[in-house]
Amino acid sequence: MAIALDQRRGARGVARLLPLAAIGAVAILPALPFLSPYIQAATVRALIFIALGQAWNIVAGIGGQLSLGHGVFLGLGCYVTGILFNQFGIPPWLGVWAGVVVSLGVALVMGGMTLRVRGIFFALATVAVSLAFDQLARHFVGLTGGDNGLALRFVGDSLWAMQSRTPAPFLYAGLLFVIAYYWITQRILGSRFGLEMRAVRDDETAAAAAGVRVFRTKLLGFLISAAMTALAGGLYLQFYQAIDPESAFGLGTAIQLQLPALIGGLGTAWGPVLGGGLMIALSEVTNWGATKLGLVGVDVLVYGLVLLLVVLWAPQGIVGMLSRRRGDR
Amino acid sequence: MTTPALELTGIGRRFGGLVALHGVSFSVQPGEVLGVIGPNGAGKSTLFEIISGNLAPSAGSIRYFGEDCTRTPMHLRRRAGLCRTFQKVRLFESMTVRENIALAVRQTIPADRDWRAEVALVLERLRLQAQAERLPSQITLADRKKVEIGRAIAGHCRVLLLDESLSGLTHPEATELIGEILALNRDSGITVVVVEHVLSVLAAMVQRLVVLHNTTVIADGTPSEVAHNKEVIEAYLGTRRNALG
Repeated sequence: MAIALDQRRGARGVARLLPLAAIGAVAILPALPFLSPYIQAATVRALIFIALGQAWNIVAGIGGQLSLGHGVFLGLGCYVTGILFNQFGIPPWLGVWAGVVVSLGVALVMGGMTLRVRGIFFALATVAVSLAFDQLARHFVGLTGGDNGLALRFVGDSLWAMQSRTPAPFLYAGLLFVIAYYWITQRILGSRFGLEMRAVRDDETAAAAAGVRVFRTKLLGFLISAAMTALAGGLYLQFYQAIDPESAFGLGTAIQLQLPALIGGLGTAWGPVLGGGLMIALSEVTNWGATKLGLVGVDVLVYGLVLLLVVLWAPQGIVGMLSRRRGDR
Repeated sequence: MTTPALELTGIGRRFGGLVALHGVSFSVQPGEVLGVIGPNGAGKSTLFEIISGNLAPSAGSIRYFGEDCTRTPMHLRRRAGLCRTFQKVRLFESMTVRENIALAVRQTIPADRDWRAEVALVLERLRLQAQAERLPSQITLADRKKVEIGRAIAGHCRVLLLDESLSGLTHPEATELIGEILALNRDSGITVVVVEHVLSVLAAMVQRLVVLHNTTVIADGTPSEVAHNKEVIEAYLGTRRNALG
């Protein structure tokens, strides 16, 4: 598929900009605390969104398993961290790892049951698991807060509790997540395991005929992705200070987790970074514009339309579009 | 007595009420080039899927160099050297030719061996060096077939199953590919099982032919014996003529 090669060339082209991007990121670090809290918060939202997209990109972009149930791991990361903090005083530094372990356990069972089926059946199975967790979260009111959700007990500015009245500290944490997840994605793409994941994505039967342990490869990719999602869920909770069943397990969240990679470029390391950044920027600009013009609600329409145009014009994502432009010249 | 490379005993397969294979038994000796032929619907593809491990038989057993592999998954058969191609070429379309071959090499060779050198050897052997960095969509059908054979033999291969690898090729391309396959058999001692539905194509390259018709084996012998076999002629032509034409 020529597009795939184009995308790889595009990814390499974008990767050449990495040193510049790194220098830029380091240069703006000292300035971050001086940005307006509004911009800081928007940037943190973008970084969390990107990190979650990077995690989903592992299983779906590289591995080709269309999971619509990744909200389960976001929810578990949030709920476990929050419950341990609120009820037992366990700091989120530790609590989030408990969330990761629980997510891995759930992913193991969920993957064991669903990864043997292919394509749309796998996607539907993950939706069913999400719905089940949505109901569980609503049912155990004493633990999760039920329909109202779980609000994190606020203790003020505290490194121990990972809480802050300003978004500034989360900027650094978010940046760290995105850089670490980018690095993990690159490592996977360059490894034997990455090659196996891509083979399974392209053709499961041919992969088995080449000696690949298909189920194990799918499961391992699913576990890595689940752990990364749950870990980013910890940051999500600390920043938003609350989580509810709809935000964690709802279909809207499941779709949101996919958008950074879909818009940026599936299966590439840069895709979710560019896609997530573009989406939050777009959301903020349309929101700002609609508020200025007094057209409340129009922002969502414009946002949706622009996303639709991006998908129509660049079905291979931004990375694919950039590479085609490079090829045209 | 030499242990057969492959030994099929009473292989049967049903799909609900439909019988696709019934009581198929034959063996393949190490280093042999065996052809399996039969008209459409004879059960060749089903048999091929069962031997490679992509489909479980409803009855019977398969032994691979003396060991029962009837229930062994396809990826483990491949790692043990039982390799296959597909009727319709199935390459990893997002990977380059080199990556397609590297994937198989890295599943099948010990960690202390240099997999890059192994990949280079396969590329050189099939004269695919110039295509190494291309995607499957950017090369010819003949080269795609060669890449699939390369992926099949990469690393460790003792028995190569070829499913209609010559179909869709021009005469010179088919001749070249037959040459490559026979060279693999001659130089590396790889046992080859070729499935085709055109008898004349196979006659030039195999030492022995097994003919499937209506889900079961109707003939087993040299190409010349098979070509003059009464049942084979009737199955193919419906008349008592030489099946080779």
